[in-house]
Amino acid sequence: MRNSSSVYKSKKLVQISLSYDEENHEIHSIKITGDFFLYPEDRLELLETNLIGVKVDRNILRKKIEESLIDSQTFGFDSKSLTEAIMQCI
Amino acid sequence: MALDEALMDSTDSTIILRIYGWNPSCVSIGYFQSINDINLKKCQQERVDVVRRMTGGGAVFHESELTYSIITKKYSQNILESYKLICNVITSALKKLGIDGQFIPLNDIVVNGKKVCGNAQTRKKNTLLQQGTILLKVNAEKMFSLLNVPQEKIADKEISDVKERVMGINRKFDEVADSLKQSACEIFNSGLYDSQLTKEEMELSEKLSLEKYSSEKWNFRR
Repeated sequence: MRNSSSVYKSKKLVQISLSYDEENHEIHSIKITGDFFLYPEDRLELLETNLIGVKVDRNILRKKIEESLIDSQTFGFDSKSLTEAIMQCI
Repeated sequence: MALDEALMDSTDSTIILRIYGWNPSCVSIGYFQSINDINLKKCQQERVDVVRRMTGGGAVFHESELTYSIITKKYSQNILESYKLICNVITSALKKLGIDGQFIPLNDIVVNGKKVCGNAQTRKKNTLLQQGTILLKVNAEKMFSLLNVPQEKIADKEISDVKERVMGINRKFDEVADSLKQSACEIFNSGLYDSQLTKEEMELSEKLSLEKYSSEKWNFRR
């Protein structure tokens, strides 16, 4: 297991704290923080839960993020920038 | 924070404009922020309170500023439009004070390129809450000694130091408050009356203050 973190500047700051399995390349746990806006707010917890066990791969991650944020509105980041923020941890 | 949430819970069709200041000074942190974005040790040394907001956005140092909350059930579902409407109240209030403020979406108002006002919204139970703060004076050294702002924050701005990003409007609290009230009446096309808190609102506010906004579980949740 490896722990890593990143600070990514999209329109707002997105900070990632990530623990991932180096053998399987899967996310073990993730915390997404920052000064962004997301409506409804509790969607972030759902996103973090949905990302557990997901392969650290740009396309897979982005698809999972898009699925998790459907019917929500984000300001300050989008699925692409969040994917990049996560990939920076690897 | 607790009172805002209590008022969100109790409001009917009335638009609420709440204007207040902080004693002691406080750093409020955005709903999604890490508690590590605040220098907790320094806050403790300076006797500055810390609280997490129910709204997103960044950390704010509440001292020498006017804080407002607008609570309404009548709002646009379009988030940008709703910010624009309420921030229009603020730019209009600034104009009455001879200050040319510009709304920079999503949530800032700037004067000569420097931030003088920040805003953050949440929507719950068909009610919108927009919290905001107008900086009257800025002690940038103190402000940024309490906040851990990554250098990445200003990576896309034409400044080299976060301290250059903000400024106060250098007006008195009461004159800003009066101007804000007038502008709110004009923009919302509404009269204004002072209202006392109901017993229920006070009780709910006290309960939320004790059980939520003073708790480590809430403030250290991220």
